[in-house]
Amino acid sequence: MQNEKEIINMIKDSHPQNPKKEFIISTENLLRQKARSMRKTTRVRKLTVATSGIFLFALAFSWLFLLNGKETVMNLTNTIGAEGIPSLALDEKEPLVFIYQTHNVEAYYPELQGDEDRVPFSDTTNVTLVGKELSNALEERNISAIHDDTDYSKILSERGLTFNDAYTVSGEVLQKALTEHDSIEVVLDIHRESNKKDDSTTTIAGTEYAKIWMYVSKTADNYEINKAFALKLHDKLEDLYPGLSFGVIERGVNPRNTYNQDLQDNSVLVSIGGMENTFEETFRTADALAEAIKEVLSK
Amino acid sequence: MVDLRDLEGSIVEIYNQHYLDVYRFLVCFSGNQNDAEDLTQEVFIRVLKSLPNFKTDSNFKTWIFSIAKHVALDHYRKKKFSTIFKEGFFSKLESKEKKPDEEYEKTELEHYVHEAISKLKPNHRAAVILRGINEFSVKETAEILQCSEAKVKVDYHRALKDLKRKLDLDGKEVLSNAK
Repeated sequence: MQNEKEIINMIKDSHPQNPKKEFIISTENLLRQKARSMRKTTRVRKLTVATSGIFLFALAFSWLFLLNGKETVMNLTNTIGAEGIPSLALDEKEPLVFIYQTHNVEAYYPELQGDEDRVPFSDTTNVTLVGKELSNALEERNISAIHDDTDYSKILSERGLTFNDAYTVSGEVLQKALTEHDSIEVVLDIHRESNKKDDSTTTIAGTEYAKIWMYVSKTADNYEINKAFALKLHDKLEDLYPGLSFGVIERGVNPRNTYNQDLQDNSVLVSIGGMENTFEETFRTADALAEAIKEVLSK
Repeated sequence: MVDLRDLEGSIVEIYNQHYLDVYRFLVCFSGNQNDAEDLTQEVFIRVLKSLPNFKTDSNFKTWIFSIAKHVALDHYRKKKFSTIFKEGFFSKLESKEKKPDEEYEKTELEHYVHEAISKLKPNHRAAVILRGINEFSVKETAEILQCSEAKVKVDYHRALKDLKRKLDLDGKEVLSNAK
């Protein structure tokens, strides 16, 4: 006959007493994200109260004038135009877009001297420059962006990790950025595709552009949101630069990888160009993407 | 510990301090690791959402566990409902598709223990796990289950007796085989 202690131990022994490691981390990330979005909601609420306050004031002010003069109807419409409809957050100085390159050493043949048999990687002349160009192109359009130029490949070798751990390391940097700037609403991880020139280039109005591929992870719990955002970008690119975007590809199931897209809604992994594209072609595409992002965000 | 100006910092601290206990409660209650993980996540999302309503004079750990108990019971009801369907005509279709070697292999002992626990009434089950595995006092368990201390004592006693009988009868030869 077992005693109480034996039975309790039997219950303990027949159930795995620890959750999976990846579960522990992904749940913490999920909670961080939820906590952040709760804070955002209250901020938006406050903002709405403030805006309607200004609006009411403007209305009252105009009304006073309306009793006295006649040009005041114009005044009223002007005030509404300026205060009543806030033009999203586009004019804010707070960063809206975060750009990083998890596989920062991915490079392009024409920009490197040397061996064409090897897959192009470089510590300096690499996809980071394309990310930088995208960031500049966004800034030119009044969209504040943060460009992260961390050398992840260096960190990996310093810590004795492999290429597969790149997302873990870049995820740490992203997480820090998201905590420091809760204004970030879009996260783009810029990569280079491995296709040959024919498959990775398109000509629009006589000009050559490097093509774009967008990837969303199916294992990120906000997958639907990320996918919807990526599709909007794709549709906008089709409008502006037909044939430039290959489309939105779903990945991340086997091997399981969220590509850190679970950390923030509107996260997309974007490949710009293949191994044989030049910076001229990829920079052009970065500008085109910035245009599409601006259009999508201002809606 | 709860700083409403820093929700993110607070929930991360709370989560890291309590996830293991909550998970252990849920894995014993549900008998399945994947379910337990999903439910653990659900618990802390509810904790986060209710954080602004937490009364500072109550016990934080029992408060979290009262949420865990609700989540566990909700799951139990849903599962009960879905098994009614499964045991109907769908089960025949399913059994053809699933090969036995694809399923998670339980040892025979685990099988008997899970079987015995799953037959307990949900309240008895919760009482045994909270007292036995999570080592809550009678008073704390009563707080979590929102019943009297006397009922906790009775439920715990009955549940143990029940388990003892089931595992003794069915499990004796299994136990010796397992060793």
